[in-house]
Amino acid sequence: MTIRIFAPLALVLCVASTSAFAAGDAEAGKTKAAACAACHGPDGNAGIDPQYPRLAGQYRDYIAKALHEYKAGDRKNPIMAGFAGTLTDADIEDLAAYFSSLPESKLTDLHGKVSE
Amino acid sequence: MTRALLLAVALSIALPATAADTAKGDAAAGKLKVYTCSGCHGIPGWKNPYPNYHVPRIGGQNYDYLVVALTEYKKGERSHPTMRAQGESLSDQDIKDIATYLSSLTPAP
Repeated sequence: MTIRIFAPLALVLCVASTSAFAAGDAEAGKTKAAACAACHGPDGNAGIDPQYPRLAGQYRDYIAKALHEYKAGDRKNPIMAGFAGTLTDADIEDLAAYFSSLPESKLTDLHGKVSE
Repeated sequence: MTRALLLAVALSIALPATAADTAKGDAAAGKLKVYTCSGCHGIPGWKNPYPNYHVPRIGGQNYDYLVVALTEYKKGERSHPTMRAQGESLSDQDIKDIATYLSSLTPAP
């Protein structure tokens, strides 16, 4: 009985601590994101110029993957190559945590938005 | 003088409007063309396998960025295999239509 209760609890704690480790530090990311605001906007919505993507509310792990691709040259964008090249893995996780946590997201998945 | 001024005013009004109209695609056509996209981008929380990460939210994304991203997949300049295959199947008009529809979307209230 005790095991039945505690086994799922232990699993939950285990998953929670793993994701906390991987998720980066949004507060640290905020201080590292000063340069990003010039193009992606202070709210992360890139409202000034539509050539830049909105980042607010994007999936954390997708932002991190994109930054790694820019850093590695798998995505070729001169501006982003310059910025991403200076980032450590921890910087990338922190920035991804920060932008994914921004509350004023204009992004959505396509659930219920497609012609059947 | 007056004619030149009028011409300048007329051009300043007409040109940006014309450029914007011809630059974008057809949202209604785009809505039909994103049917395939929804297989991955339509499922909240859906993940790409190997490497494992969430497929991005693309509804509400900026138009110009969507056009650039899809064109890069079409040309093979971005490496994701599924998206490259999708991009290769799209015409420039398809990309404009899809980007127009996607950029018009807003999160559910």
